Amino acid sequence: MASGTATNADPDQQTVRSNSVEQFYFPRPGQSLPGIPPFFGPPSSSLYLANDNEAKVGNQLEPNPSQSTDWDPQAIVSNLTFLEQKIKQVKDVVQSMSNRENQVASGSCEVAAKQQLITADLTSIIIQLITTAGSLLPSMKNPLSSNPAVRQLSNTLGSPMGFGMNANQRPSVDSKTDIPDIGKASGYEELINSLNTTQDERDELIKGPNPCGGEGSEPTPMEDHDVKESDDGDHEGENLPPGSYVVLQLEKEEILAPHTHFCLICGKGFKRDANLRMHMRGHGDEYKTAAALAKPTRDSGSDHAPVTRYSCPFVGCKRNKEHKKFQPLKTILCVKNHYKRSHCDKSYTCSRCNTKKFSVIADLKTHEKHCGRDKWLCSCGTTFSRKDKLFGHVALFQGHTPALPMDDVKVSEASEQQQGSEPMNEISRSMGCFPCSSSDGISNLDMKMADDVRGYYSPMSFDPCFGALDDFTRPGFDISEDPFSFLPSGCTSNNETSRVNKGSNVPPLGLWKWTETLSDFSH
Amino acid sequence: MGQDGKPSSAGAVTVAGVDALSQDLLAHALAGVDDPRDRKSCRLASRAFARAEAASRRSARPLRREALPRVLRAFPSLTSLDLSACAGLDDASLAAALSSTTGGTAELGLGVRRVSLARASGVGWRGLEAMVAVCPRLEAVDLSHCVAAGDREMAALASAAGLRELVMDKCLGVTDVGLAKVAVGCPGLERLSVKWCREISDIGIELLAKKCPNLRSVDISYLKVSNESLRSLSTLEKLEDIALVGCMFIDDDGLRMLCAGNSLQSIDVSRCHHVTSQGIASLIDSQRFIQKINAGDSLHEIESCFLSKLSTIGETLTVLRLDGLEIFASNLQAIGDSCKNLAEIGLSKCNGVTDDGIASLVVNCGYLRTIDVTCCHLLTNDALAAIAKNCRMVECLRLESCPFINEKGLERIATHCSHLKEIDLTDCRINDEAMQHLASCSELETLKLGLCSSISDKGLVYISSNCGKLVELDLYRCSAITDEGLAAVAQGCKKIRRLNLCYCTQITDAGFKHLSTLEELTNLEMRCLVRITGIGITSVAIGCASLIELDLKRCYSVDDAGLWALSRYSQNLRQLTISYCQVTGLGLCHLLGSLRSLQDLKMVHLSWVSIEGFEMSLRAACGRLKKLKLLGGLRSVLSPELLQTLQACGCRVRWVDKPLVYKG
Repeated sequence: MASGTATNADPDQQTVRSNSVEQFYFPRPGQSLPGIPPFFGPPSSSLYLANDNEAKVGNQLEPNPSQSTDWDPQAIVSNLTFLEQKIKQVKDVVQSMSNRENQVASGSCEVAAKQQLITADLTSIIIQLITTAGSLLPSMKNPLSSNPAVRQLSNTLGSPMGFGMNANQRPSVDSKTDIPDIGKASGYEELINSLNTTQDERDELIKGPNPCGGEGSEPTPMEDHDVKESDDGDHEGENLPPGSYVVLQLEKEEILAPHTHFCLICGKGFKRDANLRMHMRGHGDEYKTAAALAKPTRDSGSDHAPVTRYSCPFVGCKRNKEHKKFQPLKTILCVKNHYKRSHCDKSYTCSRCNTKKFSVIADLKTHEKHCGRDKWLCSCGTTFSRKDKLFGHVALFQGHTPALPMDDVKVSEASEQQQGSEPMNEISRSMGCFPCSSSDGISNLDMKMADDVRGYYSPMSFDPCFGALDDFTRPGFDISEDPFSFLPSGCTSNNETSRVNKGSNVPPLGLWKWTETLSDFSH
Repeated sequence: MGQDGKPSSAGAVTVAGVDALSQDLLAHALAGVDDPRDRKSCRLASRAFARAEAASRRSARPLRREALPRVLRAFPSLTSLDLSACAGLDDASLAAALSSTTGGTAELGLGVRRVSLARASGVGWRGLEAMVAVCPRLEAVDLSHCVAAGDREMAALASAAGLRELVMDKCLGVTDVGLAKVAVGCPGLERLSVKWCREISDIGIELLAKKCPNLRSVDISYLKVSNESLRSLSTLEKLEDIALVGCMFIDDDGLRMLCAGNSLQSIDVSRCHHVTSQGIASLIDSQRFIQKINAGDSLHEIESCFLSKLSTIGETLTVLRLDGLEIFASNLQAIGDSCKNLAEIGLSKCNGVTDDGIASLVVNCGYLRTIDVTCCHLLTNDALAAIAKNCRMVECLRLESCPFINEKGLERIATHCSHLKEIDLTDCRINDEAMQHLASCSELETLKLGLCSSISDKGLVYISSNCGKLVELDLYRCSAITDEGLAAVAQGCKKIRRLNLCYCTQITDAGFKHLSTLEELTNLEMRCLVRITGIGITSVAIGCASLIELDLKRCYSVDDAGLWALSRYSQNLRQLTISYCQVTGLGLCHLLGSLRSLQDLKMVHLSWVSIEGFEMSLRAACGRLKKLKLLGGLRSVLSPELLQTLQACGCRVRWVDKPLVYKG
């Protein structure tokens, strides 16, 4: 296996990986586009690749996979027993390791092998646990493995162990020599094998380098854009003369891919390189070295790399390179946001006003912060979030005047009579004039809780246990990033999206107020 | 009245004679009669006069809401309606009165152009809406001190598209939105005062300046606005008068922005602590026609730049107020040299004002009519001599707390300044001899002698012998005054309206017997006249029927008999203080139940009145009271419904907590 994957890691690939991972599959100018993106097959299969793999892994390690899918007390009991034993085993191994660690000098391969073993065991325990729990809950049976909570869980739980076991004991080890040794002994190698074989057999999607080799040991020699770049795609002021930069054009599928950094071992996708590196620690000691964890620094190679700009694949767009007044996009992120905003359906609807639609979820979030807070109202019905804007509007148009805030009082009384039967409305009124203001400046977690309070969720569709786990584990991996924000709305397993979808069925609280206000003005 | 009903033979001749004249002529004749009492006599003398007045009367000031519909029906050509003293006026009564006059249809409309609703706290937006609907020609509205008025009220007013003047001082609820409503609805506004509307900001002023280009006079005193507002206001081409009193965020830069136009005539920057001489100097630089400058309590010191610029407006400047500044003789000389047409100078509380300074000022300013040197402690008789020598036209002299002036200086004034109408000698050490000299000023209308304890009955006798036009007399703490002095005043000064007798403790009921001949007396302050009993109050109540304000605080001997007299005879009484009086709940009930014009009542420490007495009496007067001062302890004892009703009627209650101390 190791050699097979090593052949894939051709010399060309080294340069590819040396860039940020966007550029990993968005090739450098010299490369031909069609050949490069190995991760992008048809979108339908590639998008949920990680989930499929996960399910496979789970099933392989599962002693009785068929039983676990049905409600069978016997199976659950046996599963739990298995878990108990497994946990005990792992505990013993860790204990023995902690005893020996004091004596063993750094660089010992055996310790690394043990750690790999433990990690693998832990993974299987977790998967077992999830499967068992999933069998208890009918709603969780089918989409079990595709639930991002599960994925998260399995990835995350490895990391605290990594922290606990190993700080900087080993210097950077050449993984290529290391791996085969481990592979013979550890169950973890089995896992990797199975993972790779299934991928190779079924999808042939991961044609990347050796999953265990190279990734961490070679520092990637380019700054990664994704952390620094804002969504702002406009760099009009830049004015690079045509020809002074290289134009790249990505295909639609590449642009719409949810993740840009993929784990070469398990296939899990990430939006940020840093998160991938954190994830990689769970796959072995060689990823825990300071060099592997370090942020890829700017290399000498990038200094004389040509300036790269991007073109939108949509023909006729001003950002398309065929356009007469072509204006290139500066970064990948600019491309993504531009393409979604300009050429995609606006699938995210604001759950409060039910009118504003967005194709980039970040835009929706920005809007939601202000939605319903446009308390400055003109007599023509236009609303403003700021008083000076309203007054500027009033100054501009003859006969327009600011509307009195007192109108709202009358409105809320009127709406009380009309819609008083709906419990939602009652709750909203009890929460004050701007019922959705709880989400302002607070994280998703709080918003979700607020939604729960308002009864957006039925308990059947969303398991509170997994929700809690999900929220708990999130800070470990996705510090500054919402893992679901780039998934399309069709993915029902996504907490965030399902919230949005559900929200759109419910009349938004803010809208009642404003429509009533308008009607008040019309008569 | 009897003459009207059944004219006797002698009367019939005169009536026939008046009847023969046309209504226009009678109206013209009536127009020459200024005193409302004389007019009333005319009305009562002849129906022709009554008809002529009904047809020609332009203004009315009803004192009770019950009279309002009658007033509106009786005077169809009314253009000015003053409802500021109208007791018990609320939305319903105003709307009903207005709609009954026009028969419920707005098409007829009233000809009323000016309405004053100052302190009409019971009137809200509904009343204003009704008023605007039936008065299509409305031009001026005064809503000052309607503290509860807010944006709703302004929205109601905004439908009066022809509005030119609007005063909304201290309408505390008005925000930028309300101002915008008015600005958009009344584009023809020429005069606007938003003093003390603390919610209005730069944004509202900016919109106002854009929407109302005809503004001539703007008062934005005490607003939390910055220089941006002045930038906006500077776009008004017709701006003549601007008041910025107490605008803490305005400084010299703002005044420089105001330099844009050339129409400014009057500016008031008093209490603007960030305005300096340089700001005013730069303003004068561009605005060449300024007539009035009030820079009191704002400039920290007078700088030469300001004084040198004064000469450029020397021809036009007539009023200059520099209260509270450090001003030396040289500064005053410079002012005098530049501003030869000065009619009024304000130097109140200025340090450094000396005789020399005044002398060098007045030597060039021969037209000065008003000189305010309150609290200029250094002035002596020499300053008065200089004023007397140069300013023969002087009409108003404020000399309060100038301890070094005496009868000699006043003699010069009295002999040379025969036009003197007002003199304030409060806290000056003057004696009866000074009164003897002042008595030669036969035009004197206002005389303030507070804290001059050496003035006795003799001085009052001098005054009353020649000052028959006296309207206001202040004898606060002139403790040497007795009943005889009052007798002389009542004998000689029949026109007195305002009289202050506080702490003149020697006065008894007999003195009040004399006072009762002052038929025009409207304001009487008699605090701590411990010898006055119900008998004295009764005689005043009977004699002084026009009494509006009465202060009986600490008149410990006044009892229910006094209140009964007041309730029986003083039907015009609007403001009353009876704190510390020995009255009972019965008297209070009777008083509050009867006085239909009473709006402001202070009754602290009425220890003989029971809780029930307070409750009952307040219920009796509930709809009319606008201001009430009560002991804080009553707050928890009085029924909440009562307090709620009071509040709903627009009444503000001030709760005071102070110990009961008897002072004699």
